[in-house]
Amino acid sequence: MYTRTRESPLLVWITVLIALVLTLLPLPQWLAILWPNVVLLAVLYWSTMAPAAGGMLVGFVAGLALDVIDGSQLGQHAVAFSLLTYLAVKLHLLTRAKPIFEQAIFALLALLVYEATLWAIDGFSNRSTGTWLRWMHVPVGAILWPLVVGLLGRLHAPR
Amino acid sequence: MALAGGAMNRHSARDLAPGPRFFLFAIISLVLMYFDQKDGWGERIRYGLTAAAYPIQVTIGSPGRLWSASSEFFRSRASLRDENQSLRQRERELALRTLRVDALEAENARLRALNDALPALVKQHHLVNVVNADLGRLRQRLIIDAGENAGLYRSQSLIDAHGLMGQLARVGPWSGELMLITDPEAAVPVEIVRNGVRTIAVGTGSADELNLPLLPSSADVRAGDLLITSGHGGVFPAGIPVGTVTESRRDPDELLAHVRARPAASIAGSRQLLALWFDRSHPSAPPAPELIESLPVAPVAQPVTAPPQSSASSPAQPVTTPAAQPAVTPVAPATASPDTQTSPPPAQPPARRPGPR
Repeated sequence: MYTRTRESPLLVWITVLIALVLTLLPLPQWLAILWPNVVLLAVLYWSTMAPAAGGMLVGFVAGLALDVIDGSQLGQHAVAFSLLTYLAVKLHLLTRAKPIFEQAIFALLALLVYEATLWAIDGFSNRSTGTWLRWMHVPVGAILWPLVVGLLGRLHAPR
Repeated sequence: MALAGGAMNRHSARDLAPGPRFFLFAIISLVLMYFDQKDGWGERIRYGLTAAAYPIQVTIGSPGRLWSASSEFFRSRASLRDENQSLRQRERELALRTLRVDALEAENARLRALNDALPALVKQHHLVNVVNADLGRLRQRLIIDAGENAGLYRSQSLIDAHGLMGQLARVGPWSGELMLITDPEAAVPVEIVRNGVRTIAVGTGSADELNLPLLPSSADVRAGDLLITSGHGGVFPAGIPVGTVTESRRDPDELLAHVRARPAASIAGSRQLLALWFDRSHPSAPPAPELIESLPVAPVAQPVTAPPQSSASSPAQPVTTPAAQPAVTPVAPATASPDTQTSPPPAQPPARRPGPR
């Protein structure tokens, strides 16, 4: 299925760890609403561009870390991240070759799937499903997708 | 962790195709979710994972702390002298006030004829630092730098210099997660100092606002009223300042008044908090934590001596945070109470513990 990995898994794990810290930075309220889910974008990037190095395990562990730090239900982010990385790995040959604008649309769909999963689990487990503001990071993340590609693309040799 | 994970990724996990691998991770997640709801094993797994995640949390909180530390360092002598002077002034005022409080307490004890039966309410306290804050619309939580190592326990009350901050929702080995009173899932049984009216203050998800959704339109409450904990519900002790009513509005079409309050504690600003231990024999103290832990569901939702009709009307649901229930369940009885005078008092779950009154 995969070609031999050219990206070091270490690079993937370190960037995802940094992205995790950036995601959870305490921010002023207005900025927190507009703040993208950085770790999600990083995981999405690596599972699209280097599915062998950054696959589902990275996503699962990042999701689990979010669960623990965020205090949400254990496994909630983990399952959403696994689903997102599964879709990204499955479709990576299709999406990777597209121009950046179309990639951003795929990113938008992926982020929507992610947030919808969290939202559904919140609903099933009788938790507060929040306001529409929780969906704000989805369009923001899609808009920032070219930036993510530009930044992380410098760290390796993308195909 | 990164190295080990990378190695695993290369050898074992990559042998599986994406489909089965997703299946595997999804199953693990679902199992975790199941156990987290059950509150037994999930809590233990989380305990270990919290310890692993603590360095990340400290890292996240560090830019803010670095900023405050460096600004402290570069402050001028003059401003320090000013601060010193104002602190001294304040200390004198406080000393005077303490004298008065001591006198009042002594008088109070004499009046109650409990002179030797009444111990001090706060038996022990522990200063903790805030390492990280999550002050979003959905969650208002603080991470503190002490946990089981300092003897903290779940549902412990924390205060700052001005009033009640909240209760510990989770305790890790070296860290704790504090659910602030402004968390949307938090509910504090409060009492209006002026007239003793009791109600529940619910968090709004905003660090400077509390909501009092259960007061009928006829309730005597106005802006400026001071709110203190009522001691009901078994989590918070009685008499800690909670906030001040900022807005009290009545709509002729509605049974309930719109009442908002501002927390007394500086929720977003405090960097140091006090964790409190209480003398259990004091009448204002909440019951022992073992009692709370031994309850099957949320402690405030199913009181020990609840009347049968209240336990029948609120069926046991798996509730993950102790204070999640009262924010929701008492709405129905409270709306019915103003016009039906003969009905039993509203079955507010927190109000059934043998307390000071």
